[in-house]
Amino acid sequence: MSDIAASGRARGLLILFFAGLVLFLYLPIGILALFSFNDGDVSFPLQGFTTHWYGDALTNPTLLGSLERSLLVATVSSVIAVALGILAAFALVRRRFVMKSAVSALVFSPLVVPYLVFGISLLVLFTALDKFLTDTMGVYIGLGLHSVVIGHVVVSLPYAILTIMPLLERLSLSLDEAARDLGAGPWETFRRVTLPLLLPAIVSSFLIAFTLSFDEYAIASFLAGTQPTWPVYLFAQLRVPSLLPQLVAVSSIVLIASVLLVGAAEVGRRVAERRYAGSLPETG
Amino acid sequence: MGDGARIPDEKTFGLRLDRRGFLGMSAVLAASGLLAACKKADTGGGTAAATGASPSARPPLESEPGGLQVYDWGGYGDGAYYPKEERQYLWKEYETATGDTPTFILFEDDDSGYAKVAAGARYDIAHPCAYRFEDWVALDVLQPWDTSLLQNFSSLNPTLQASGNIDGQQYFVVADWGFAAPMYRADVVEPQEVSWGLLWDDRYEGKISWWDSLNMLVVAAYYHGIADPWAMTDDELGQMRDFLISKKGLVSFFWGQSIDLFRAFKQEEVWIGYAWPDAWVYAKGAGFDVVYSEPKEGRTSWYCGFGLFADSENYYHAHAYADSWTSTKAAEFLLNYYAYGHTNTAVDLSLISKDIVEAFGLGDPTILDEPRTHAERPIERRDVYSEYWSEVKAS
Amino acid sequence: MSTVDARADAVRVGRRSDRRATVGLLSAPLVWLLLFFVVPVGFVAAYSVGAVRIFPTDGSVSLADWQRFLTGGSIYLDLFWKSVLMSLAVSVVVVLLAYPVGYFLALCVRKRKYVLLLVIIAPFLTSFLLRVLAWKVILGDQGVVNTLLFWLNLRAPDDPVPWLLYSRFTVMLVLAYVWVPFVALPIFVSLDNLDRSLLEAASDLGSSRWRTFVRVTLPLSVPGIMAAFVFVFVPTIGEFVTPQLVGGTEGYMYGNAINDLFTEGLDWQSGSVLALFLLLVVAGLMVLFGRWIQVRNVAG
Repeated sequence: MSDIAASGRARGLLILFFAGLVLFLYLPIGILALFSFNDGDVSFPLQGFTTHWYGDALTNPTLLGSLERSLLVATVSSVIAVALGILAAFALVRRRFVMKSAVSALVFSPLVVPYLVFGISLLVLFTALDKFLTDTMGVYIGLGLHSVVIGHVVVSLPYAILTIMPLLERLSLSLDEAARDLGAGPWETFRRVTLPLLLPAIVSSFLIAFTLSFDEYAIASFLAGTQPTWPVYLFAQLRVPSLLPQLVAVSSIVLIASVLLVGAAEVGRRVAERRYAGSLPETG
Repeated sequence: MGDGARIPDEKTFGLRLDRRGFLGMSAVLAASGLLAACKKADTGGGTAAATGASPSARPPLESEPGGLQVYDWGGYGDGAYYPKEERQYLWKEYETATGDTPTFILFEDDDSGYAKVAAGARYDIAHPCAYRFEDWVALDVLQPWDTSLLQNFSSLNPTLQASGNIDGQQYFVVADWGFAAPMYRADVVEPQEVSWGLLWDDRYEGKISWWDSLNMLVVAAYYHGIADPWAMTDDELGQMRDFLISKKGLVSFFWGQSIDLFRAFKQEEVWIGYAWPDAWVYAKGAGFDVVYSEPKEGRTSWYCGFGLFADSENYYHAHAYADSWTSTKAAEFLLNYYAYGHTNTAVDLSLISKDIVEAFGLGDPTILDEPRTHAERPIERRDVYSEYWSEVKAS
Repeated sequence: MSTVDARADAVRVGRRSDRRATVGLLSAPLVWLLLFFVVPVGFVAAYSVGAVRIFPTDGSVSLADWQRFLTGGSIYLDLFWKSVLMSLAVSVVVVLLAYPVGYFLALCVRKRKYVLLLVIIAPFLTSFLLRVLAWKVILGDQGVVNTLLFWLNLRAPDDPVPWLLYSRFTVMLVLAYVWVPFVALPIFVSLDNLDRSLLEAASDLGSSRWRTFVRVTLPLSVPGIMAAFVFVFVPTIGEFVTPQLVGGTEGYMYGNAINDLFTEGLDWQSGSVLALFLLLVVAGLMVLFGRWIQVRNVAG
């Protein structure tokens, strides 16, 4: 097959190109990681090895505060997104109903709306709502982490559904029917049969939603109010890089953590799917 | 950088001028303030009697809920820049007097600060800048101060207080002010003349930074000798816009916060910038040979003040806070750490550090007057100016 | 096989009593989307024509803002086209870079193709801001590239290369860098799904590899290419973060104008007009390119 698609020489060129692109993609990240250990500014020549930037970063309260807030927002929004995603995925996979394509379009449309536009539309809505509430009832809610969570659920939802649907499709309903024949109610069937089998996809979708929310800047910048999340804090520091190697240090940690996290999610998902596929009873 | 002064960042500013320096500077400012007071003491207003509920109708301080909510800029008490010193100089007095610790809610700039309140946010006091004073009053969310409750009020520069007096009521207690002027590195920049023209000096392409604000149109107007830069006609605005567009290629980037400009200087990305005094203080502390110029067309100045929300439950607390902020102690801090001015004219006198005097032209009491300094004033057609500035950026 | 099975199951389930179950399942997600996605967008539309007022300075109901925008009375429409051109250029470059990668992985690699794919995609799943930070650090006047040049005596220390950072070039470079990983995926998927026997047949019929590529592979991968193109083109039109960080004064894009109208100068109404216009354009593009974008196929 590989001979059909490309000659030996073409194949060689493609390998070179691939390697070059990988280098291009990872070099900046690698350089950042390198300078997180540099005892000095982020420029050549190197000035000696140190780990004190990591220590500094981990004792910087503003920085840590923003990380905490991001963790909170990401966790809450991912849980909600996955929960809603499971419901929607069930409806789309196992139900036939009239407006299916319209619902499908609605559910997947956050994928293509620019986050800038979405962020400000929530800003406008919440601001108008606040004004209305203040004028009529003297109540003011304001923007904050709750607003960010709401926005992040909307944009994570399609990804959650996209991750769960393939696995859900592969789970045969005959398993459900077998469970019901054995006397289990619909909720119990879901809890004891479907959910465990769906778990890899659920975990996967949670991790994807989490990564998305943790790193999301545009929406958070409009909605976070006075409590910056990590990307909002980072952006403020980035506008003119102050050569804070602390930031570089934390960046390296976050980068490596997210690569590992997503890698683990993907690997886990494929392992589980392969394992499941192996044990699937032959269906008609 | 390896120099003695610690480089400022959000949490660990350790920069400080020596004691003689700040005392000296405040001396000169006090002198100039007094002179200004003498000259303009008859421009009415300033100490209008408070209206609103008579004092007896208000609950006394002890029964107020406390937890004063201060809607303010970062670095003015919340500890964003100088955690210990901000508290010590700006509101320790308040804390001692009332036993209350204020809560700070920050806004990034006047526009977003105003927007939030327009949408319904309410706090106890707010600290916007003068060009929006009338907008705030028009929102109908403020009540005037009772200046008889403010111990320091009589020491405050009356001219500036007059600008906080709207419709005969003292809606704003003006506390802080500062300059805007071109700042440049004397070791690499040789100005042909000391002028706003430094900001578009062809010889320094790529080493210049402008403020991301429609004020750039105003200073361009001063450079061109336009009669009233704060009330330009569409024609004049169009000319300024076209001029700025033609010079935009010389600019490296637009800064949004003073600290951004400082960092650009520190990284040597930029040698000339439209700057506020605090950027000069940081750059000087980082070891740069920077000059805070007095352009021949004149610097501009801004000033900001405290407003009291109408439905605040902390009436007396608020006055106590305003008192703390308008004290000579607060004046010391602003001068010392930000090189900003303060309206309290009774600050202690002492010897002056030459650097600071020269940098801010403090040796001359007329420094705050026209035509050497143009005090910022409300722009009627601010939205039109804003559009022209957007066009400069978008072209 | 199992998909057919699922469809058959779905048919079995379409009974009347289960409609309530469907509604039950869908109600939560749909309500959330309606409240927090559809309504806000509708609000922005209403706000842009003055049907909603928030600030004292907001105008009343009128199409004046729209008129001015569309008839070129304001500078923003020009800015929009300028941004479209930049996005177009970036998208073309990105697709050109990603195609060989997708081709290589799908058709030339037998073992571990998914691992290698993950290697390409992984950067996209890491922090976007950090990757931009990396370039700021690399391209600045005192950044990695320039100080390296000084160190190697290729350039004098007071003469750094100035256009590396804060230029239109920087914006495009960084955007391309950010999007290449993501774009490789749909191209890979469409090539991976290619029927190998077609290639074999072409070869049996005497076609050279290059000819096979041009006349068989390439046309069949067009859906993947179109999907990839749209996946980078659409987000980058509305891009405002990268230009703010590395664009300096030259790299101002349409997204920046929207952002500034909302954060400086407080002209939310004009901002809403611009935002809604962007949304309509994007929606239009999706309808146009709809047939290339099978969301499920592209997601892999």
